Amino acid sequence: MQSLRRKSLWVALSASWLLLILLGVFPLLRPAVPPRPQPGASPGWPRWLDAELLQSFSQPEEPTEDAPPCPRSPHGGHCTWGTCFDTSRCRDGLKVFVYPAAGPTSEMHHRVTASLEGSRYGTSSPAEACLLLFLSLDTPAGGCSPEPPHWNSGRNHLVLSLHLAPCPWASQLGRAMVAEASPKVDTFRPGFDVALPLLPEAHPLRGRAPGQLWQHSPQPGLALLAVAEKMGRWRPADVHSPPVGWDRHCEQDSGAEPTLPGERPPNATFCLIPGHRTEAWRFLQALQAGCIPVLLSPCWELPFSEVIDWTKAAIIVDDRLPLQVLAALQEMSPARVLTLRQQTQFLWDAYFSSVEKVIWTTLEIIQDRFFGAPTHPSLLWNSPPGALLARPTFSLSPQEFPFYHLQLGSRPEGRFSTLIWVGPPGQAPLKLIQAVAGSQHCAQILVLWSSDRPVPSRWPETAVPLTVIEGRRKVSDRFFPYSAIGTDAILSLDAHTNLSTSEVDFAFSVWQSFPERMVGFLTCSHFWDEARGGWGYTAEMANEFSMVLSTAAFYHRYYHTLFTHSLPKALRTLADEAPTCVDVLMNFLVAAVTKLPPIKVPYGKQPLGAAALAPGGPGPEPQPSAPNCINQMAAEFGHMPLVSSRVRLDPVLFKDPVSVQRKKYRSLEKP
Amino acid sequence: MCASVKYNIRGPALIPRMKTKHRIYYITLFSIVLLGLIATGMFQFWPHSIESSNDWSVEKRSVRDVPVVRLPAESPIPERGDLSCRMHTCFDVYRCGFNPKNKIKVYIYSLKKYVDDLGVPVSNTISREYNELLTAISDSDYYTDDINRACLFVPSIDVLNQNTLRIKETAQALAQLSRWDRGTNHLLFNMLPGGPPDYNTALDVPRDRALLAGGGFSTWTYRQGYDVSIPVYSPLSAEVHLPEKGPGPRRYFLLSSQMAVHPEYREDLDALQAKHGGSVLVLDKCSNLSEGALSVRKRCHKHQVFDYPQVLQEATFCVVLRGARLGQAVLSDVLQAGCVPVVIADSYVLPFSEVLDWKRASVVVPEEKMSDVFSILQSIPQRQIEEMQRQARWFWEAYFQSIKAIALATLQIINDRIYPYAAISYEEWNDPPAVKWGSVSNPLFLPLIPPQSQGFTAIVLTYDRVESLFRVITEVSKVPSLSKLLVVWNNQNKNPPEDSLWPKIRVPLKVVRTAENKLSNRFFPYDEIETEAVLAIDDDIIMLTSDELQFGYEVWREFPDRLVGYPGRLHLWDHEMNKWKYESEWTNEVSMVLTGAAFYHKYFNYLYTYKMPGDIKNWVDAHMNCEDIAMNFLVANVTGKAVIKVTPRKKFKCPECTAIDGLSLDQTHMVERSECINKFASVFGTMPLKVVEHRADPVLYKDDFPEKLKSFPNIGSL
Repeated sequence: MQSLRRKSLWVALSASWLLLILLGVFPLLRPAVPPRPQPGASPGWPRWLDAELLQSFSQPEEPTEDAPPCPRSPHGGHCTWGTCFDTSRCRDGLKVFVYPAAGPTSEMHHRVTASLEGSRYGTSSPAEACLLLFLSLDTPAGGCSPEPPHWNSGRNHLVLSLHLAPCPWASQLGRAMVAEASPKVDTFRPGFDVALPLLPEAHPLRGRAPGQLWQHSPQPGLALLAVAEKMGRWRPADVHSPPVGWDRHCEQDSGAEPTLPGERPPNATFCLIPGHRTEAWRFLQALQAGCIPVLLSPCWELPFSEVIDWTKAAIIVDDRLPLQVLAALQEMSPARVLTLRQQTQFLWDAYFSSVEKVIWTTLEIIQDRFFGAPTHPSLLWNSPPGALLARPTFSLSPQEFPFYHLQLGSRPEGRFSTLIWVGPPGQAPLKLIQAVAGSQHCAQILVLWSSDRPVPSRWPETAVPLTVIEGRRKVSDRFFPYSAIGTDAILSLDAHTNLSTSEVDFAFSVWQSFPERMVGFLTCSHFWDEARGGWGYTAEMANEFSMVLSTAAFYHRYYHTLFTHSLPKALRTLADEAPTCVDVLMNFLVAAVTKLPPIKVPYGKQPLGAAALAPGGPGPEPQPSAPNCINQMAAEFGHMPLVSSRVRLDPVLFKDPVSVQRKKYRSLEKP
Repeated sequence: MCASVKYNIRGPALIPRMKTKHRIYYITLFSIVLLGLIATGMFQFWPHSIESSNDWSVEKRSVRDVPVVRLPAESPIPERGDLSCRMHTCFDVYRCGFNPKNKIKVYIYSLKKYVDDLGVPVSNTISREYNELLTAISDSDYYTDDINRACLFVPSIDVLNQNTLRIKETAQALAQLSRWDRGTNHLLFNMLPGGPPDYNTALDVPRDRALLAGGGFSTWTYRQGYDVSIPVYSPLSAEVHLPEKGPGPRRYFLLSSQMAVHPEYREDLDALQAKHGGSVLVLDKCSNLSEGALSVRKRCHKHQVFDYPQVLQEATFCVVLRGARLGQAVLSDVLQAGCVPVVIADSYVLPFSEVLDWKRASVVVPEEKMSDVFSILQSIPQRQIEEMQRQARWFWEAYFQSIKAIALATLQIINDRIYPYAAISYEEWNDPPAVKWGSVSNPLFLPLIPPQSQGFTAIVLTYDRVESLFRVITEVSKVPSLSKLLVVWNNQNKNPPEDSLWPKIRVPLKVVRTAENKLSNRFFPYDEIETEAVLAIDDDIIMLTSDELQFGYEVWREFPDRLVGYPGRLHLWDHEMNKWKYESEWTNEVSMVLTGAAFYHKYFNYLYTYKMPGDIKNWVDAHMNCEDIAMNFLVANVTGKAVIKVTPRKKFKCPECTAIDGLSLDQTHMVERSECINKFASVFGTMPLKVVEHRADPVLYKDDFPEKLKSFPNIGSL
């Protein structure tokens, strides 16, 4: 037994040795076969044996360049911002003089001129102006107007035409900048001219032609592709039968105004648009409809291409590879489709939805070119709320705005400033100051003294610095961007407001989740008054609300800048004349920016009723003036921006039948 | 560990009842043989690349041995560059038609030595940098050695520096390339264009339609959308290691370090220095250096000697002035030092300006404003300056650092033009890694309140609790905004009840049968889902009132990019155990909601099914738990936002199921859930969940107001 086992062990052992030797010897034999490059393996660029010895392309030792004087004169037909625009005339920023229309003016021309003159850009003296604006808003029916008086070969002029084919003297590439609808790629001077969208004829002057996207994702069953066809129609297309047969000759593009029939907007995820200049209006139509434009080698410059990153909202492809494009569309990831769709709507709404917005955007682009002036970073142009609502004069760092925290991975600051408005009765809000100062997040207290009574000399001792600012007795003062405000968050209060520390703390914790919105305690809601045929609003308790009162609200300090520097003067005057309107105006402004409702948090005391609307307490203002201002504002904004909400945000354990000891915000529940 | 222990136990049993001495002997012998076998086996199958790859796959030759090509004097010359060229007119995209994965294929001509009729070489064969450049392309995914499949051709004729070229002969050499065809789809790299006296801003070699990747383009010579503007590579990038210096104020506010500066500009600079004293430093070449010292690496101001490029790190802003050429290598050094370049070169097209946002990293000053430069720079806020410093350094790291970086960025730009639908975004080009890492791009970013009329689809996941399921269906069908009900039948062994047995409800009811009993079936993007809003609901959730559900839908409409659910849960950091812990009811905060009943956008179903990171989905299916936590992680990670907890409800307690053995079950449950959180956090590489202190209630909830006038009077209990 024993020996048998031993024998078998030996056999196994020797067999293994044999195997080992065989395996070991074979590889040694292999190098005898000459090494050959394996077929199929790519040889690539050779590794030179003497690569170390190669010389550098430049010898820094030798003085390569003795700099000669450089040509500074502007080159022939090329105008650039630096050579053809005289910025020395713009020391006071962008001041725009608008030429009065020569011939019979249209209503549109009149109103655009008026709104420009009333804006912060406007000036009535051509000598003072940095930019002379020549508007051609209407289709040039018969012939062209003569050269304007201060033409000076077009220096510092902007010829703005909302249509194709502007007057020949303007497009002859003088020193005037041309802002023209869908300019030809060949003649467009990037960085100097401005490309405008080709707007439909019945485009609203103000407000917005609403975007037609109602939901984020394409509804099921939506056609993947719609193809622009003759006669202004859209045809749903099958991706397997590629649309071919467009002849593209950019050169043959006539400047003829296309017919813009009131055809139905495209209903598809992607809209295929040929590159002809005459089809440019389709681009805007698709944009409005939330149909992602797929442009086949456009012969025209995309609108505002200087600042808008169109790769985020449209697909611009070579018309020579239609099959590949269609395949790519089919394979596009849902995430990309989602973002493209939403971007079309954002861009439409921010820059194209009214004639005014198109003109403001043009001026904003020119302003951005000014050297030394604060310019919009790309992020501000290309993400909501857009560059017209995010002013670089506020800050050049996107982190300081309330809108970009997610994109930048930053968070809103953990502290707030309290701004207490003391109106006519002029009583120091001692109790309120104590309550607010009790919050650990409060960084400072600012008292805005707007009463005729003298400022009290003594103020309560608080843990945080207290500053008194003497106001100018104007209601709009409370939204002035005081340099003393040192934090992003502002808690705006009235002297007569009654708040507890708990309420303040909770509301601030909510604001940190929604830094771009107003977070308030008291609300009111707007409604359409059939009987009067206008808007009205009420502070009565209701199931929904659309405004919060600034007598007690958190919001970002950026809105002070926007309120003071961006709103038309007329609106601010209106607010000063009817103080109840100032809250409405602020809510309009924030809603127009965010497109979302404000946020309501619980308020321990029962709402004060309609009287609370007057910031100065139950003041002498007669109520009837109030509903009127909401209509004036709606007219000035061009639409009703307010959005209603049915939600109130409460602490997680709010009024739950559990021990009060468990709850963080206890005093909120006291009756 | 376990496995090895087992073998040790079993091993000796193979040779039983042998003498210990022999046993040891045999075991040793055996193991030697075994080891040897394994070793040889390994050697056999090991890829033999380590010692031989260079010999077999890539040629190793000397540059001096390359074939010589004689160019006859009368051989054709290409036309001069066509200024009107655009991708659409001069580039043949059909050649790129069959490139898979949206990637262009690049062919490199093999290296030749060109001589004229008399045998005089046309140029230096190849420079170190051009060799590096071609190596980089050859090593990249773009490379192909099949000339017939190539979309882009790169000649191996080195034109990086025009000074070293014989223009006419170089052009002739280009024209005789086998696929030249008027230069269509040929890419030339040039960093130092032009020559005395007038220094053109683009390569003077006639090149017809060839694309030019040039350093130092001006707006007059740059064909936008066709040429690529590239940096002038600075050899110091490789020679000198400058560690990254944090942003912040530096010793000098403004510094000029260039040596060959036009006298007129030199005067302007000196005037600046005279005016602003110590904060401006203007350097020049050193005249009194001892022999042998490397003059390129030294700069002088009066008698003070500074090390270059180290001195650049001492300045906040660094002047980059045009010389004879617009493109200056100093730009690269300045960026490397994290100094913000002040570019004073009218009409210069900055490197990669097609994709890089130079506003974020530089200040461009018109030449005529040079005297104002100090005040202009002073008006820039400190925060902005720091961002620019960071950005400058990042541009250098990503696009200037090496010839390879320059070559690959150039090819990427051309690739993006040909496959625009697969192009790299602005953020990917421009955001430094730190920003990319922290930023969130919410897929549902448009502020939009979807119309109420759309309604929602309820998805009920069920196994076999038919009675309870029917009750849920009946209850949910009472919610006004319900538009469709989808039952996911997760039991493969049992058929769903007959059609006639189902409750009759006012909306369409669909039953989907699944192939496998998996929890993730509840989050599958079924074609039947037609609404954006989805209500995921378990088959035993019968306690939610109709008002409560309808209100939940209303809340979702106001927050369509969030998970909107009823009972909230919280994650906490356990300092003792050093890991995450799951927390159930009665907290003042929430960071998750249970998906036993939750509203969310249907897009998240797609994400859950197809884009869940790592093995989370399989893990959930294997453990039959935590699918809701996984969903909470996913949504928070992609949106960067917190959940919304609705109404006071704290748990889904059904009246029937009385606590069987509540406590111990609860304990294991909590441990398992905590484990899930830790597992998911490690897969995501971060903790995406956001903690908030609020929940959503109807506006008039518990307010002193007549109940019958409230929209949602019956909002349920705990």
